[in-house]
Amino acid sequence: MARVRLTPELESVVAFDHAGVRLPVRQRRRGAGRRDKLRRMAGEVTREEVWNLRDASFELAEGEALAIVGYPESGRDPLLRLAAGTLVPDEGTVRRRTPVIPVIGVGRALARTYTVRQNIYLVGGLLGMTPEVVAERLPRIVKDAGLEGMADKYLGDTPGRVRGPLAWNIAMATEGRAFAISEAMVVGDPAYQERCWKVIEAKRDEGVSFLVTSDKDPQLLRFCSRALLLDDDRVIADTTVEEALKGLHALPRHKHHTGFVAEELADEDDDELL
Amino acid sequence: MLVQRDLQKQYTKFRLGYLWTIIEPLGMSMVLWFVFTMLLGPRKLGLQPYLLFLSIAILPWWWFTKGIAQSAQVFQKNKNQLRISTLPTELWVLRVLIVTMMEFILSLPVIGLAMLITRTLPGPLIVLYPLGVVVQFMLMYGLALTISSWSVVVPDLARIVRIAMRAMFYLTPVLYAMSNIPERIRPFAALNPVVAPIGLYRIGFWPQEHESATHYAISFALCAIIVVVGIVVFRKLEPRILKEA
Repeated sequence: MARVRLTPELESVVAFDHAGVRLPVRQRRRGAGRRDKLRRMAGEVTREEVWNLRDASFELAEGEALAIVGYPESGRDPLLRLAAGTLVPDEGTVRRRTPVIPVIGVGRALARTYTVRQNIYLVGGLLGMTPEVVAERLPRIVKDAGLEGMADKYLGDTPGRVRGPLAWNIAMATEGRAFAISEAMVVGDPAYQERCWKVIEAKRDEGVSFLVTSDKDPQLLRFCSRALLLDDDRVIADTTVEEALKGLHALPRHKHHTGFVAEELADEDDDELL
Repeated sequence: MLVQRDLQKQYTKFRLGYLWTIIEPLGMSMVLWFVFTMLLGPRKLGLQPYLLFLSIAILPWWWFTKGIAQSAQVFQKNKNQLRISTLPTELWVLRVLIVTMMEFILSLPVIGLAMLITRTLPGPLIVLYPLGVVVQFMLMYGLALTISSWSVVVPDLARIVRIAMRAMFYLTPVLYAMSNIPERIRPFAALNPVVAPIGLYRIGFWPQEHESATHYAISFALCAIIVVVGIVVFRKLEPRILKEA
């Protein structure tokens, strides 16, 4: 009984129907500035919710790699999370035929105080693998993440750079039929990144579907066959990757959004505190 | 399934301190026993032998407070995991309850010790003890679902819960028996859902307590209602929980 309900009779792999979601503004204030830090330390929380995605409708076909193109705050991540079912839409519906593996923020779910092995069970389990399946695939995950011989070390004792690959390889080991990938997950040296792209290319050619966000245009051009262009929380174009990227670069960059205003207002009363 | 995995990890931490799970409640029972029998004199509080009477209720009570208090923060604490979890959200709540229940079960030898010290053996109705555990688990599940999801919307709830727990400790027949409560207000005391499992725990040793059976029934019905409420509230707030993750 998974939380994410499936619609087996669905023709496409994922279908968004006028889907939208509101998120607490706080979500967008992960800033590294001094104020943000102070505010976090004070445990200050904004309860206000703003739309992060509205009226998104599209379908993802089998074996299709769809690029989600837009600036970081354009609603890309909520869209991926909606697709994976780790967010529930406030309006419209999102249906999926197979589980969509969320490859976004996986690294953050890793726990330093657990061993590598325990982490693989934990995260693998969260992504829907049973302990038996994890046990079977564990050696390969460890090897692909470059952690051979370190499986029983605490994650906190391993070099920081292995965490990204570890998270990535756990996600890949799910052998899901659909993935929602934030490109920020593909980290490491160029050779390693190249291997990652090769792996998902092979999967794509086997009919696995992908939703990908990335700031690296060449990778999107190479991997994806179609693109959604997002701006201001809305899908403004459903087109080829080339066209979408062209559209993206034509957008005025300063036009960030609604959350911005809220942030400035909040900053004002913050000054009173100081 | 996966809860077991989580459990294991909790365990590795606390296997070292297993003795503590026994010493802590035993010590607590001793202190309370001392205060209420020696210092306050032999008033008619609770039933005899008082040490056993206390420890039999205080262990599950601890399970109750720990489980509920932890569940109030469960989604805050597991934010990063929740973000990528495709598993049912309820699992996190269940995990807390199961881990705290295991601690409770591991501390059961304390009751054995108390039996030894007071040289008391239970009657046949002790078979109702496991039923008490089941009832308490259900009750806690309902409460924990409600509280955990609400505390996402109202973060202050975790603190309120802690205070409420302390108040409830005195409002619940842990230190005293149902029969210590004046006849008139006994039906009101039965509106406390925790009364039902505690009654089931005690009936093995003090079968005369079942004169309060109707009160237990009221309390039991309340437990059932709480479970339903918990599930409904949780369903409603689940999208909110995910958003905060």
